[in-house]
Amino acid sequence: MCDFSGKLIAWMDRELPAEQAAEVESHIEACPECRGQLDAYMRVSGGIEAYCDETMASSGPRGAGIPLLAPAISVAAALAIIVAFFFTWPRTRVEPRALQSSQSADVASPFIATENPSASARPIEHLHRQQVVTPAGNFSQGRHLASTAAQTQIAGALPEESMIRIAIPAEEMFPPGAVPEGMNFVADVTIAPDGSAERMRLRPQLAAFERSTSLQ
Amino acid sequence: MSGDAANLALPLSGLSAGAGEATTLYRELRKPLLRYLVCLGLSSDEAQDVVQDAFLILHRHLASGGSQENIRGWLFRVAHNQARNRQNRYDRHFCAPEDSETTAALDEATPEHAVLEKEKFQQLGKAMRLLTPSERECLLLRAAGLRYREIGEVLGIATSTVSDTVERAVKKLAEKCNV
Repeated sequence: MCDFSGKLIAWMDRELPAEQAAEVESHIEACPECRGQLDAYMRVSGGIEAYCDETMASSGPRGAGIPLLAPAISVAAALAIIVAFFFTWPRTRVEPRALQSSQSADVASPFIATENPSASARPIEHLHRQQVVTPAGNFSQGRHLASTAAQTQIAGALPEESMIRIAIPAEEMFPPGAVPEGMNFVADVTIAPDGSAERMRLRPQLAAFERSTSLQ
Repeated sequence: MSGDAANLALPLSGLSAGAGEATTLYRELRKPLLRYLVCLGLSSDEAQDVVQDAFLILHRHLASGGSQENIRGWLFRVAHNQARNRQNRYDRHFCAPEDSETTAALDEATPEHAVLEKEKFQQLGKAMRLLTPSERECLLLRAAGLRYREIGEVLGIATSTVSDTVERAVKKLAEKCNV
């Protein structure tokens, strides 16, 4: 057995320091036995690659891959921007069931709604804030949102919101067929007493249920 | 995707800052990760769930200003540990007496090519099952493109141990497969 045989695989994997790699390389050129071994190791390595590829290819339809998370991350980033934009404007008091606000709202579109468990008894301070936005963000709609918020601020609203709810249809985040039909997602954004955003929780929700409870 | 997997809690601070980087890493590493997990013995659905979970953890890690050093090894370690947590099905692939799924896939290939490939493939599959879990994991991580140092970090072993293990495993396969 050649002295260099124990370094052939590490050399093949480019894991040897430069000096040792040069020694092994010059040895291989002069040693038919090591060349033969190296050839076998390369075939095995190629076989492992092929084995992994075949195993992956035969692992089922989802193995082919539907990029689920990339759009989800993009949507999350867009939501962060929307939420951050939202928080830069004066906060207002809103009705606890803002999801009930508009009969004409398109439930298949994303929207932002807010909730306030301690809703005010003063009607003038209530504000329906069901606002259609796209996951990519729509600044004209954002401006409208800001305008509405500013108007309510004039009416004397106090910043007491505790949660913002953002409903996102599944088709805005995932390719068709990636999630069960009728499944949407709701992002609950929790707000600290000082007005800063603490957490966002994304949870699935059946669209049919959402419609029946929000648009009655 | 399971309902549990959709319950995500993301910190808002730095969310958009970490998202771009996580998305880039996702594009680069999703397939190698999936391939590694499936070869470990997870089903396609399980592997998808583990990869999603791993990238969400990565996203939180980046968003909270976590270290970006050797992020590839870090991600594989997270996915590897997640796979280990699903121990009930982990290694099922290699414990099975016959790899019926992959055999069926090869049967659908071009006939003359398939016969030769099927024999080599079955031989290699059997030889892989004879390896120790550590040897298999080292080889699979190596096939995913990880350096020995990264493999050591994923498995929690020294780089020199990885080198010895890879060498032993490759030699075993070469011997068993008569190449």
